[in-house]
Amino acid sequence: MHKIAEVEIQHDIMAANKKLAKRNQRIFDKADVFTVDVLGAIGSGKTSLIENLIEKMDYKIGVIAGDVISRFDAGRFEKYNVPVVGLNTGKECHLDAHLVKHALGDLPLDDIEILFIENVGNLICPVDFDLGAHLRMVVISVSEGDDTVEKHPLIFKDADIVVINKVDIAKAVGADENKMFNDVKELNPDAVVIKSSLKTGEGLREIMDNIQKFME
Amino acid sequence: MHELSMADAIVKTAVDVAEKNDAQKITEITIEIGGLALLNPEQLKFMIEVLSENTLLEGAEVNVEEIPIEIKCESCNYEGPTGSEELDHYMPIVKCPECENVSIKIIKGRECNVKNIKIEKEDEDA
Repeated sequence: MHKIAEVEIQHDIMAANKKLAKRNQRIFDKADVFTVDVLGAIGSGKTSLIENLIEKMDYKIGVIAGDVISRFDAGRFEKYNVPVVGLNTGKECHLDAHLVKHALGDLPLDDIEILFIENVGNLICPVDFDLGAHLRMVVISVSEGDDTVEKHPLIFKDADIVVINKVDIAKAVGADENKMFNDVKELNPDAVVIKSSLKTGEGLREIMDNIQKFME
Repeated sequence: MHELSMADAIVKTAVDVAEKNDAQKITEITIEIGGLALLNPEQLKFMIEVLSENTLLEGAEVNVEEIPIEIKCESCNYEGPTGSEELDHYMPIVKCPECENVSIKIIKGRECNVKNIKIEKEDEDA
């Protein structure tokens, strides 16, 4: 004879990640490391921005470079002689708190003041996965089209800093960078929105100043 | 495409609970997904079915329920549904339906819960 029973579970799958993210943040706080989750579209300039920040910011910087199958980005950062861990996500489209925890063991946290975590280029999947970072910085560029913000609202709703990159080519690609700026502000009035061009250097000082402000 | 990792966690959770309850088989599983969680219910269902092969969950009916989006307005303190039925995924997270202020917090609608399972087990009295 078989008996049928109903078992209440009420287990939040997202909660496991949130718990790990909190644990990560405690590790960062203990080591006095300010951590920035850098998210954004493919080719928007996440890696270039971090390279610029490594060169220009007067802090000891470390990087976790997330990528689907390669260590391309990690290789780029290594040239700057900063501690770098490449995180291969395999088939996954985002970093999660568990993967980041694994990378922490390979970083000299006591010798790092700012840790940049470069997420996988994607405006959708990383949104649901908190990594335990202190700051969420989203990088997009005009070449993805000026409707990018409208199409992916959640990632901007959660962002602390939004960088709209490559404004120097906005005219050439027929995009209105001011529309993108206003779309972010409408979704998230508290976000710091910065128009930049890593090629000309526009906006870079503002990005650095704002990261510093969040550290205080 | 993180349905795969979510499905994996869901299958593991269900099988784990079933084993702890001495189940011989899971006949039904109910999942709750928030209206703003970036997960596609159909894809999630498919992945759960694939991953449950050769587990206690194999062949179980997979139900997906949606958790409605709820917001809290930081200006007028309104708490509740967004008041927008259209799911264009934009307006619901922009404005308070009462005072139209844009400073709102999402308090519900981003979850992915395993709600319950129905299991078959040996009747102890038999």
